[in-house]
Amino acid sequence: MHMADALLSPAVGTAMWAVSAGAVAYSAAKIKKDDLDDKKLPVMGVMGAFVFAAQMINFTIPVTGSSGHIGGGILLAALLGEFPAFLTVTAVLLIQALFFADGGLLALGCNIFNMGVVPCLFAYPLLFKPLVKKGLTPKRIAIASVVSAVAGLQAGAFCVVLETLASGITALPFGVFAALMQPIHLAIGACEGLITSAVLIFVYKMRPEIMESLQQKTKMACVPLGKTLAVLAALTIVTGGVLSLFASSYPDGLEWAVGKVAGSSEIEAGGGVYQATGEIQSSTSFMPDYNYKDAGEDVGASGTSVAGLAGSVLTFALAGATGLAISLFKRRTGEKGAGAGA
Amino acid sequence: MRDCGRTRWWKGAVTIADIKSSIGELYAIEQLARGASAVHRLHPMAKLIATAFYIIAVASYGRYDAGGLMVYAFYPAVMMAVSETPCRFLLRRFLPALPFVLLAGISNVLFDTQTAFFIGPVGVSFGVLSLAVILIKAWLSVTVVLILAATTPMQDLACQLARLRIPAVLVMLVAMTYRYMGILSDEAHAMFTAYTLRAPKQKGIAMAHMGSFTGQLLLRSIGRAERVYAAMKCRGFHGAQRLAPARRAAAADWVFCVCVCLFSVLFRVVNFSYLLGRILV
Repeated sequence: MHMADALLSPAVGTAMWAVSAGAVAYSAAKIKKDDLDDKKLPVMGVMGAFVFAAQMINFTIPVTGSSGHIGGGILLAALLGEFPAFLTVTAVLLIQALFFADGGLLALGCNIFNMGVVPCLFAYPLLFKPLVKKGLTPKRIAIASVVSAVAGLQAGAFCVVLETLASGITALPFGVFAALMQPIHLAIGACEGLITSAVLIFVYKMRPEIMESLQQKTKMACVPLGKTLAVLAALTIVTGGVLSLFASSYPDGLEWAVGKVAGSSEIEAGGGVYQATGEIQSSTSFMPDYNYKDAGEDVGASGTSVAGLAGSVLTFALAGATGLAISLFKRRTGEKGAGAGA
Repeated sequence: MRDCGRTRWWKGAVTIADIKSSIGELYAIEQLARGASAVHRLHPMAKLIATAFYIIAVASYGRYDAGGLMVYAFYPAVMMAVSETPCRFLLRRFLPALPFVLLAGISNVLFDTQTAFFIGPVGVSFGVLSLAVILIKAWLSVTVVLILAATTPMQDLACQLARLRIPAVLVMLVAMTYRYMGILSDEAHAMFTAYTLRAPKQKGIAMAHMGSFTGQLLLRSIGRAERVYAAMKCRGFHGAQRLAPARRAAAADWVFCVCVCLFSVLFRVVNFSYLLGRILV
């Protein structure tokens, strides 16, 4: 469910960054306020690593013969509590984005929201906790795990659909995209729920104190969920609103920002460099804007695309050649250095 | 019969090898980050800012502007060559990001069939063009992040995260998760080997055993966390991790950072490949 940078617009990406940053700041403050014993910090760190290790083990999904692995949001929340679990998931996603190319830097905000905020801060406190409120039994743990994992993944997948469509990179219609994503994640959610429940029941039988202490503790210090929701909603509206102001009227924010800095917009460029560059841009660009599509075929446009195409291929080749030249040069000087050394 | 058994054995061995190879991958990037090239020596904050700026510039490109994007290939190409990051490593890491990107990209081909231009007799639709844009964007943004990670040691990155006012708890979590994921993966690998030896005719772990298997791994991890905590306490841990102070950024670091940012904006406005094409064609 990791989203990639390539499918996001800067406006959506940065808006979700702001929302996730707010959730991280709130959770960190919450943990500090609750005076988490410092014994829990190493446990959180090792749990993050555990999620990695657990994801490496594929299990066989019965009947289909295909395999999958767990995401771990609900599992962590049930073992650590929602705020520590959320921060642990965030750490895991950050590492995945940086070192494994699983989701990009720009998409990190979206991924933290879809796979961290949704299961840990919404599905767990709203579904899991009420379902095991009357006391822990294997049956209640199983029901709570499956319900909250399915709900969390459905909501997360729906967020993926919304974020992707808001970015406008894909031409997939809403209905088709949702019809693809939701059933797939229903199956994944059911598997995740079953495994989460199996793991939790195992842990509950072997070391009941791990889960019991958490449930008792959270009963005493009840979390103001309404406040969390309000803060997150406000953040979304503010950042989304501000960013969509320029995202809607101009296809991209950077162009808008450049125009703003110059004191004028791209089309009615005021003068100087920006006018020149604006003219070059509008008269020469390979696919000047979205409007181009409606312009249809005319001789000028096809002439433009020949130069554009040739230039693109050439630029790409040039970039590759530059890289190759540098590494060849480095290798040669390196060999010389080694020879001199010997 | 025997032959069938052998193939199953082989299949089991592949999954074990998979875990082993992903542990190897974990350490591969760390070894690359220990290099001493000019890119490695750049200040981590300068690299971080440049990478973020570059990615936003690339992401801001329109659906169909494949030509304009091409010039952005220079940055990863040069960084890759100077830092001596192997190209094959970057390609291998790029693969897991592909499926979802391809799903969205190929759907564009199906839904966006209007012809954009002709290469000789072959018409290229807007959908194909946008698929190309998505793939180029994905490749560029993945590569620059991997180059950042492959040229900057984890401690330095964690240090910069702390400087960016990211809560100390999260920075510590990132550092610890990173430190322990190799160790726990080894643990999982050992358990998995033991399991496969007892269930040779089976690929992966049966769903029925998944709970106790993962649960066992979890309990072992918790046990390890307790020992880690004891060890940290012995070394004077009081709830906050101390990070070594980073070196100050030199003028060269900022020149690099400003140059990357400036060129990202410049090429966003000027279509370099078109100009090049017009000079030559």
